[in-house]
Amino acid sequence: MNNDEFYIGWMQQAPKGFAVWIKKYVFALLPITIALGVSVALAQKKFGSGNFEFGTLTTVTGVYSHSPVPNIKVFDGKDFWGNKNYITIPLIGFGKHGADGVIADLENETNIAFEGKELALKGTLLYNDGKLLMQIDANDKPLVMVNEPAGKVPETLQENIGIIDIKGEIVDPKCFFGVMKPGEGKPHKDCAIRCILGGIPPVLKVTNDEGIQHYYLMVGEHGEKMNDAVRDYVATPVTLHAKAVAYGDWIVLYVQPGGLQHYSYMREHYSNNIAMCGKRCVE
Amino acid sequence: MGTSYSAVGWNRQKRIYDQVIAGCCVLYLVLFVLITVTVNPDCTFETVLLRSTSTLAVFILHVILSIGPLTRLNKKFLPLLYNRRHLGVTMFLLSAVHAVFGILQFHSLGNVNPLVSLFTSNTHYGSIADFPFQSLGFFAFVIFLLMAITSHDFWLHNLTPKTWKTLHMFVYLAYFLVVMHVMLGVIQYETNPVFVVIMISGAFILITLHLIAGMAEVKKDKKAYRPEEEGFVQVCDVRDVEESRAKIFCIAEERIAVYRHENKIYAIHNVCKHQGGPLGEGKILDGCITCPWHGYQYLPHNGQSPPPFTEKVSTYKVKITGNTIWLKPTPDTAGTTQQGAAVPAE
Ligand code: HEM
Ligand code: FES
Repeated sequence: MNNDEFYIGWMQQAPKGFAVWIKKYVFALLPITIALGVSVALAQKKFGSGNFEFGTLTTVTGVYSHSPVPNIKVFDGKDFWGNKNYITIPLIGFGKHGADGVIADLENETNIAFEGKELALKGTLLYNDGKLLMQIDANDKPLVMVNEPAGKVPETLQENIGIIDIKGEIVDPKCFFGVMKPGEGKPHKDCAIRCILGGIPPVLKVTNDEGIQHYYLMVGEHGEKMNDAVRDYVATPVTLHAKAVAYGDWIVLYVQPGGLQHYSYMREHYSNNIAMCGKRCVE
Repeated sequence: MGTSYSAVGWNRQKRIYDQVIAGCCVLYLVLFVLITVTVNPDCTFETVLLRSTSTLAVFILHVILSIGPLTRLNKKFLPLLYNRRHLGVTMFLLSAVHAVFGILQFHSLGNVNPLVSLFTSNTHYGSIADFPFQSLGFFAFVIFLLMAITSHDFWLHNLTPKTWKTLHMFVYLAYFLVVMHVMLGVIQYETNPVFVVIMISGAFILITLHLIAGMAEVKKDKKAYRPEEEGFVQVCDVRDVEESRAKIFCIAEERIAVYRHENKIYAIHNVCKHQGGPLGEGKILDGCITCPWHGYQYLPHNGQSPPPFTEKVSTYKVKITGNTIWLKPTPDTAGTTQQGAAVPAE
């Protein structure tokens, strides 16, 4: 640069030496901009295949039940042995709310208790990994019809699996099965807590050794809601000690008192040794 | 230069600057969106928006924070320094899309106010792995917001340069908050090391640049001057100072600009009254010392802005023996007229 060149901000044009230098700098920044955009975009973890049919309303007819979480069971033909198959569709509300409020309002309006009734409900479907849920929103006038059911949903659908210990992550099923990506893990933790505190039933996502995921509904020991109780455990690895009951296509975990704990690698891998040592020491 | 703040017009320089910024932003966003949609077709619009804007904002934040030290190392970066606020506002707008959308997506439509939800959903403030990282993003965002709305010269004048500068130094806190926001947030979820590598290299580059520039400055400042008779100290040879230019000396932690003007030597305080620009890096134009940052002007012999302007800086006594310039490092009241010292004819 000509040493006499002097730059002042309000100049119309920067002196040549300055302008040339800045151009070089910008040309150096350009490939960095591109490299960053490309590498960050490519490096993102794959998103789940969940789907939220935003803006599309579907009417679904099935038998309503309030427990273990508000749901309707939709008849889905008979299996090989002639048993009736049902798809259980947990219901959730608008935004970060459960379906209880909407259902209660509809029950009040119609003066009918919905438990065990056949309902036709209009709402927005969301689904992933073979699980289907439905959002019902008061603004969509979700109740299309309410009837006495043609037949009872057979009790045989219930199968007691017994007490199990299981490890997984608590997710809010609304975001996880379709509304948000990623709908799990640290970036989504706050939102999941808010959804679950708002009444959306907590779901345990369990990944088995083959990497295949299974989902379980979580309730308290006696089937009571445990939304508030799980708040500190959402979106981190947890272990559950629970009674498992299959209701057709969903397994419900009745979490035993003290049965929800943060997963600890130490406890899983070394607790036997510690226990053994403890025994030996006592002996 | 104006008696009160004067809006500098959107001149040619600024227009080019803005076009380059806009071009780079569009390029980045388009690339990011296209690649995500192609490689990761299960993505949602919301996530792509959150991620493309936030990552670009963080990149621009790095560029902004590197301009300071780069300019200290090489004057040719001055045009970038001068127009840095355009980058700042761009970065703010991008981070605003991310922050506002983040609050809407993750905290609205719930059972409490979204801002309350932001701080009370996850309350593991004592944990590293579970830390509510969004609150860190929020505070960073508040700092960017304050900086963006006070970026105009109007605020500089009304808040006083000192307050303004202090406020703008919070950008370093904001940067730290953003780094932690990302480290405690999405990085704990992503499995690809690219994210950590980028954040760490970014921080490494910034710290290194600041250290190099800082050390160069400290070295200059640490130079010892032997005090001599009558409180004058020996600073340099007259031939070291070019006509219409200055050399800066740091004596007892004060920077003093020693100017040569029409074969006389004058000394004034180095700090410009406008935004603290380094007057010794300026030049004498039309008989006035002109600040390199925004062009404020001062007369070399009395440190006063030419009428009708009223800014004044302290002046210093100088003398010359042989070819050596001597400077009395105790300032005279701002605006005091000095004789200057005549440069001996060669
Ligand atoms: C109220 C303020 C903010 C909120 C609620 C917020 C929320 C979030 C959330 C939820 C994520 C994870 C999103 C994901 O799954 O990808 C995230 C990521 C990120 N945030 Fe923020 N953020 C805020 C402010 C900021 C600010 C001011 C910056 C810096 C300019 C920033 C930079 C980033 C970056 C670089 C990421 C990682 C990239 C990404 O995945 O989006 N955030 N933020
Ligand atoms: S003119 Fe702005 S700092 Fe000197």
